[in-house]
Amino acid sequence: MKRNPDSALNVMGKTTYIDDLPESTEMLHAAIVCSPSAHGRYERLDTAAALAYAPGVRVLEASDVPGQNELSTSIPDEPMLSTGEWHFRGEVLALVLAPSRSVARRAAALVKLVGREDLPAVVDPREAYAQGKLIMAPRTQRLGDPEAAYADCDVVVTGRVESAGQEHVYLETQGAVAYPDDAGGVRVVSSTQSPSGVQSIVARILGLPMNKVEIETRRLGGAFGGKEDQASGWAALAALGAYRTGKPVKLYLNRRDDMTSTGKRHPYSSDFKIGLKKDGTILAFEADYYQNAGAATDLSPAIIPRTLFHAANAYHIPNVRATGTMCRTNLVPFTAFRGFGGPQGVFVIECAIEKAARALGVDPVKIQRKNLLSEGDVSHYGMRMDDVRATDTFSRCMDKAKWTELRAGIAAYNAANAATKRGAAAIPICFGISFTKIMLNQGGALVHVYSDGSVSVSTGAVEMGQGVGRKIAVVSSRTLGAPIDSVRVESTRTTTVANTVATAASSGADINAMAAQVACIEIKKRLVALAAKLRGAAPEAVDLRDGYVTVGGVADGELSFAAIVAKAFENRVDLSAHAFYATPGLHYDMKAEFGTPFYYHVYGCAVVTATLDVIRGSYRFDDAIIVHDIAESIDPLVDMGQVEGAFAQGLGWACLEELKFDDAGRLLADTLSTYKLPDAHFMPRMDVEFFTKPNPKVVANSKAVGEPPFIYGLAGYFAVLDALKAARPEGPSFHDLPMTPEKAMLFLTGDLGAAVKGL
Amino acid sequence: MRIQLTVNGLGYERDCAEHRTLLRFLREDLGLMGTKEGCGMGECGACTVIMNGRAVNSCMVLAVEADGATIRTIEGEADGPSLSDIQKAFERNHAVQCGFCTAGMVMSVKELLSEHPKPSADQVKEAIEGNFCRCTGYTQIVEAVLDLTGSPEKKGELEHV
Repeated sequence: MKRNPDSALNVMGKTTYIDDLPESTEMLHAAIVCSPSAHGRYERLDTAAALAYAPGVRVLEASDVPGQNELSTSIPDEPMLSTGEWHFRGEVLALVLAPSRSVARRAAALVKLVGREDLPAVVDPREAYAQGKLIMAPRTQRLGDPEAAYADCDVVVTGRVESAGQEHVYLETQGAVAYPDDAGGVRVVSSTQSPSGVQSIVARILGLPMNKVEIETRRLGGAFGGKEDQASGWAALAALGAYRTGKPVKLYLNRRDDMTSTGKRHPYSSDFKIGLKKDGTILAFEADYYQNAGAATDLSPAIIPRTLFHAANAYHIPNVRATGTMCRTNLVPFTAFRGFGGPQGVFVIECAIEKAARALGVDPVKIQRKNLLSEGDVSHYGMRMDDVRATDTFSRCMDKAKWTELRAGIAAYNAANAATKRGAAAIPICFGISFTKIMLNQGGALVHVYSDGSVSVSTGAVEMGQGVGRKIAVVSSRTLGAPIDSVRVESTRTTTVANTVATAASSGADINAMAAQVACIEIKKRLVALAAKLRGAAPEAVDLRDGYVTVGGVADGELSFAAIVAKAFENRVDLSAHAFYATPGLHYDMKAEFGTPFYYHVYGCAVVTATLDVIRGSYRFDDAIIVHDIAESIDPLVDMGQVEGAFAQGLGWACLEELKFDDAGRLLADTLSTYKLPDAHFMPRMDVEFFTKPNPKVVANSKAVGEPPFIYGLAGYFAVLDALKAARPEGPSFHDLPMTPEKAMLFLTGDLGAAVKGL
Repeated sequence: MRIQLTVNGLGYERDCAEHRTLLRFLREDLGLMGTKEGCGMGECGACTVIMNGRAVNSCMVLAVEADGATIRTIEGEADGPSLSDIQKAFERNHAVQCGFCTAGMVMSVKELLSEHPKPSADQVKEAIEGNFCRCTGYTQIVEAVLDLTGSPEKKGELEHV
C-alpha cells in the first residue's frame, strides 16, 4: 500500500498538538482577561481578588512587558496587552497564570476594571469610512476609462454587495507552550503558520535578539490563514509568562475565547457599476470595496490588493476601476483566511454579471463565457496573462455538466413544480499565485542524509493538513533517488531553517518543495560524482533512481542509495545541504498599481445545482461539478482533498456560516452551537476532474492548490439565487452573502428589504 | 467519587471529581491524548469515544457517569503497530488532513459498522453528521468507509503516489 506517514500516525491518534504536549508539574497555565465591550477605557486593573483566589496566581499586565508591547508587523496599532483603552470586544487586557488551567480561568474572571468608561463603537465599514476612520489611504487599480466607456454600452447596471466574515474553525484552537532556557531566552512550541513571524514578535516583546528565541511547530490542527499573524500574540503571551516566572507556561484558548478574540475573514460592503454590449461583452466595470478591517491593521493592507487583483475574476475587461478602502472599526482585527480577499472581490463581479444578465434577459453563463481571458490579455493591473486556461476549463466543465440540457431540465422541472424549485450556476476562477507582498516569496531548506541512507528534510513549511510535508517528501525522494520511506520531513524550527515566511498564499509547496529540491540536487551531484569515480564511469552516465545508482541507465545492484551514502561518508563527502529559493520574475509598482505580482494563475470552473423548498426557504445542494487546473499533481489524493475541502469551506462561507455581530460589536455566533458549519449532509455529490496540463514554472510541473478552489463555493450562492428567482421572478436580485435559509425565506415572502442593506 | 471502568480492555479504578468530564478524565487522568477537545460543548464530535457500544461525545459525559462502563478510544483501535481496517481505509483514501477530527471520526464509523456492516453513502453521512471536519469536505471520509465495505457507491480511484 502507498502510504502517507503522517496519516498513519493521525489515524492512530498518536500525533501531538499543543494540548497534547507533556505537562511537567512546575508548568503554569495561562488564561486571558478580555475587554468587556467593543470600545472603552479604564484607569487600572484591580487584581486583588484574582491574586487571593489561590496560591501561585500571578497577573501580568502591559507594564510587565520588558520589550516593545506591540504585535503589528506594519502600523503599530495592536498592543499585546492593553494600556488603558481597548478597541474591540475580546482584546487582551491581562494574562493570569496559575498552577492549573481551571484555577487560571477562575482567577481571570475575578480581575476587575477600575474606572471603566465605555466609548462609542463603530461596527459598520461604511460608517467608519464616513467618519474618516481608515487604516491607510485607499488603493485604486485602473485600466482604460470606464466613465467614457459607459457611453458605448447598451446596458449599465449598478448594485450593492455585502459579504459577511467567516470564522476559521480550525479544529485545534490557538495556543502555545513556552519554555524558559538557561541562557535567558525562550523556546516556544506554537500553533502557527509562521514560526519565523512568531520568533520576531516574541523577540520584540521580550526585548531579546532573535537568536535567543526558538520557535518550533510540528503540525497544526487546521489553520486556513487564521494562524498567520494571529498566532503571534498567544505565543508571545506564553513567552512573557515563561520569561517572568522562569517556568514553562501553556496558553491554550478554549473555543469561545478563540472565536471571540481572534481575527476572521474580512466582511466587505461593496458598490459596483458594470456596462455591457447587447451581445454580453463587458466593456467597463467599476467597484468600490469597503473592507471591514476591524480594530487593528493586521494583514488588511496586504489583503486589499488581492481583492483588487481579483476584481475582474477570470474575465478580460478593457476598462476597469477598482478601489479598496480599509475601514477601521471596533470589531476583532480581521485577518487572512483562504483566498485572502480574493473571494470577496470575485463575489462582486459575479453579482454584477448576475444582475446584468437579468437586465439583458440572458443566462449569466453566456456573459461569463463571452468575456473569459485569452492568451496574451493584459490584466487591469498590467500583467500579461500567459498559459491561460480559462476557456479550456470552463468549456470542459460546461460539457461535463451538460449545461444546455441541465438548463432545459431545470426549466421543465420548475414549470412542473410549485413547492420546490431547482437552480444552477457556474463560477470560473483565475487566482493569482504568489504572495502579493513580493519580499515574502522566498524559502529555505536544509537536507541531511544520514550515514545509513535515511534522509531528513527541513524547510520553512508548516504542515497543517494540506499535505505540504507529503509533497516535500515526494519531491525530495524523486530528486535524490532515495526510497520515499527513507525520507522524513521534520518539524519546522527557526534554528534549522531561518527567516522563513508564513506557510500561506497557497505557495507552501511551490516555495519549500522547490528549496528542498535545490538542496537535494546539490547532494545528489556529490553522490553521483563519487559513484562515477567508484565505477570508473563518466558522471553524465551515472544517476540515482528509485533507490539505486544507475550506470548507463542500468541499476547497479551493489550500490543502493544507502550503500552509496555509506561510501560517501567513508570518503568524507558532505551529506548535508542548505538551499534557498526565491520566486523569479515578480515586480509591482505600488504607486502606478501596475506590474507582474503573480508567478502564474490557477484556473478552473464549478457548476453547482440546488433544490429549494419554496414553503420553508430551506434548500439542498444536489451536485457540484468541478474542473480544476491542477497541472501535474505531486500527490493526486492530497490535491483532491484540497479541492474538495476548499470548496466545502467556500460553500460554507457563501451559504451557511453566519458571522453575526450585533450593533454593539458583540459576536453573536461565538460557539459551535451558534455558528453553523458544513456537515456531511450539507455537501452535494462532488465530481472533480483535474485539468492536467503541466506547469513548467513550478517544482514537478505542479500548481498551487490551497486557496483557488475555495471560490467555487460561490456557485452555491448563485444556484440558490437562481432557484429563488424561479420561485419569485418579480423579486429583486439580492447580493448579501451568506445565503442562509432565513434570507431565502424572507426573499420568498417579500420581506427581505428590511434585512438586507442596500436592497 | 471512586469509579471503576474498562478502557480499551484495561480496568481502571480512580478517584474522580463529580464535575470532571469523561474527556478530561481520559486525557488528563489516564493520559490518553488521542481523543481531542474541539469545542467542549458537544457540537464538533472531535471527542467521540465508544461507551458501552454507543458513540458519545466524551465532553458531554461526566466521568462518574462512566462508572462501570466499557470504553473504547482511538488508542484501542490499532493492534499494536498494525492498523485496524477502518484506520487502513482512512489512510488509503486520504480521509485525514489535519488529523484533529480523525479520532472522533473513526469512533463514529466504528459504531456505524458494528450495526450496519454494509452502510449506504447516506448512512455513512448520517453516522458522521455529528463530527465536524473543516479540512476534507467529507467526501474522502465517506469514500474511505465505502471502500472498506466494498460498496459499489465508491467512485474514487486515486491513490497516493
